[in-house]
Amino acid sequence: MSSTVAGAPLLVVENMTKEFPAQRRFLAGKASRPLLAVDHVSFSATRGETFGIVGESGCGKSTLTRAILRLIEPTSGHAYFDGIDLGSLDATALRAIRSRLQVVFQDPFSSLDPRMSIRDIVAEGLEIHGDGDRSECRLRAAEMLELVGIPPAVHGNRPDAFSGGQRQRVGVARALAMRPELVFLDEPISALDVSIQAQVLNLLRRLQLELGLTYVFIVHDLAIAEYFCDRVAVLYRGSIVETGARAQLFEAPLHPYTVALLSAVPEPDPKRSRHRQRIVLQGDVAPVHSDTVGCRFRARCPVGKDRALCATLSPPLQERVDAHQVACHFPGELRVSP
Amino acid sequence: MSALQPSNPVLVVASLQTEFRIARGKVQAVRDVSFTLEQGERLGIVGESGCGKSAMALSIMGLIEPPGFIVAGSVKLVGQELVGLPDRRLRKIRGREISLIYQDASAALDPVRSIGAHLLEAIRNHDATIGRAAARRRAVELLRDVEVPNAERRLNDYPHQYSGGMRQRVVIACALAHEPTVVIADEPTTALDVTTQAQVLTLLGRLVEERRTAVVLITHNLGIVAEFCDTVRVMYAGRFVEQASTETLFTTPRHPYTSALLGSVPRVKQLLTGPLPAIGGSPPDLASVGPGCAFAPRCLRSRGREICQTTAPAAPLRTDGHIVECHFADEDDAILADETQ
Repeated sequence: MSSTVAGAPLLVVENMTKEFPAQRRFLAGKASRPLLAVDHVSFSATRGETFGIVGESGCGKSTLTRAILRLIEPTSGHAYFDGIDLGSLDATALRAIRSRLQVVFQDPFSSLDPRMSIRDIVAEGLEIHGDGDRSECRLRAAEMLELVGIPPAVHGNRPDAFSGGQRQRVGVARALAMRPELVFLDEPISALDVSIQAQVLNLLRRLQLELGLTYVFIVHDLAIAEYFCDRVAVLYRGSIVETGARAQLFEAPLHPYTVALLSAVPEPDPKRSRHRQRIVLQGDVAPVHSDTVGCRFRARCPVGKDRALCATLSPPLQERVDAHQVACHFPGELRVSP
Repeated sequence: MSALQPSNPVLVVASLQTEFRIARGKVQAVRDVSFTLEQGERLGIVGESGCGKSAMALSIMGLIEPPGFIVAGSVKLVGQELVGLPDRRLRKIRGREISLIYQDASAALDPVRSIGAHLLEAIRNHDATIGRAAARRRAVELLRDVEVPNAERRLNDYPHQYSGGMRQRVVIACALAHEPTVVIADEPTTALDVTTQAQVLTLLGRLVEERRTAVVLITHNLGIVAEFCDTVRVMYAGRFVEQASTETLFTTPRHPYTSALLGSVPRVKQLLTGPLPAIGGSPPDLASVGPGCAFAPRCLRSRGREICQTTAPAAPLRTDGHIVECHFADEDDAILADETQ
């Protein structure tokens, strides 16, 4: 365990940027332009909290995670874990620190080796990190599997004997067996059945309390983000457009994209959903290049589409109230009746 | 919600049973399903993966292939029986009177053929006499109808040049090319982002409204049903366990599975805290469904009562066409009610 005081940020991300270089397209004459997948993203996660990163596909959530964990090399920017600059570590030091920061992946079907028993899958990481001998590792694996609700009688079975929800529990057990402090949850329930999702969310929350974990929760489902996260950042085309505590963000969203996103979520309540106002955004999420000028949301924005300021100046992320930050020239202008 | 005329059924499915004969036995994917669809009705079928909803859709379309077989039942489309019809005849009906919109537009479109080629095929399939120029004009019209910008130019594009939402629009255009009476949409927006999903559902809603097309919308998303459908059927383990108008189902669900499902889904702007009222266990294996209620092992209302284990519940009709397949439909789930506050 670390010596940092409670309440101090465990993870600090500063100006994280990832640009993918121009590529010559197959059979196409000209080269593509460099793609700015993550653009100066900064946030921090405090010990014991859940920080949510919300966005649609292509917004850069996965690239951001991978850049923070150095599964890919960021173009610029820093990620500090417990005060240590992850970018400054060599391969050995990085491997050593990775046991303290783990990832639970989205797909419980492809992320588990089909030839190994689930006990061995959970024990494998422990053995690699030299956490005791083989039998100790297997014992710890069995403990973790029980903690996530998988009875000992089936620990010798292979992944194909389990349902999606159970496999995701195995994925959670594998990540937590390393006694991490920080866990990245990359869409951990989106591949699961509706009736199973609540089970896994409850499990993750229980484990967080029992083990004092800090989560970075990457999610596209806003209702899940609202339920599960303490603070949330909304990502659009590689940069944070709004961030704040969950009550601020969900009850009083300021960025037109957040407002539109929330109004687009279908609600399982016909009385509410049929009479409320919806903003249907036109167009799709298009890529951003380093020479893109103005606000990146402008083309789809009901507020700034025809405004000169939005076309010329990219709005900086600025605090409005109590750490509620928004990157918009006209925050709060777009509202919907509830 | 539009008032439906209760006397103009376009699709009548009666006691449909479909099974898959595989090495380890018979998987009963659709177990005695019946329903009636009125002209212009929007019926939502809600269920989790593996509950039999896609097998049901394929059975209605006559697209079930071995090892899957329709073992009993009837599917009548505007009075005509489809079960047992030779494929040659079915092909004339599919795409013209009844169409299927698949979940995965990338799989439904051939990557080496242009968008125009797909639309032209959909048009010509049921209209051999249409000329080249007229077919092309119709294709552009269809593409405009699904709000693809620069339709004329984008006809020559290939599927990979379209975004996911645009591809799904093309699939919808193909399905509606001949203005069918019934469209079955199997998770049409599941692969899409929430803002794109809203666009596509709004579009689909407008198109079926204009054409008075009846829709069977298959989804696992309760929110989509609440927004899009007039009536709902909840499917569990190959059967409809509850059916009602959308309003009734969401305000007074009577089946323990429906209430549990509704209670376990977080919603926006509720700022819920504490654990979610989750449903324990997993959906049953349809290869070994016992004689009792298929939901009994996960049910909070059954509490181990014997009748739930031994006897499949009958479904007496309640008021307003509300049907609940539960022995204890009138009991409350006290525990669930508390936790969903």
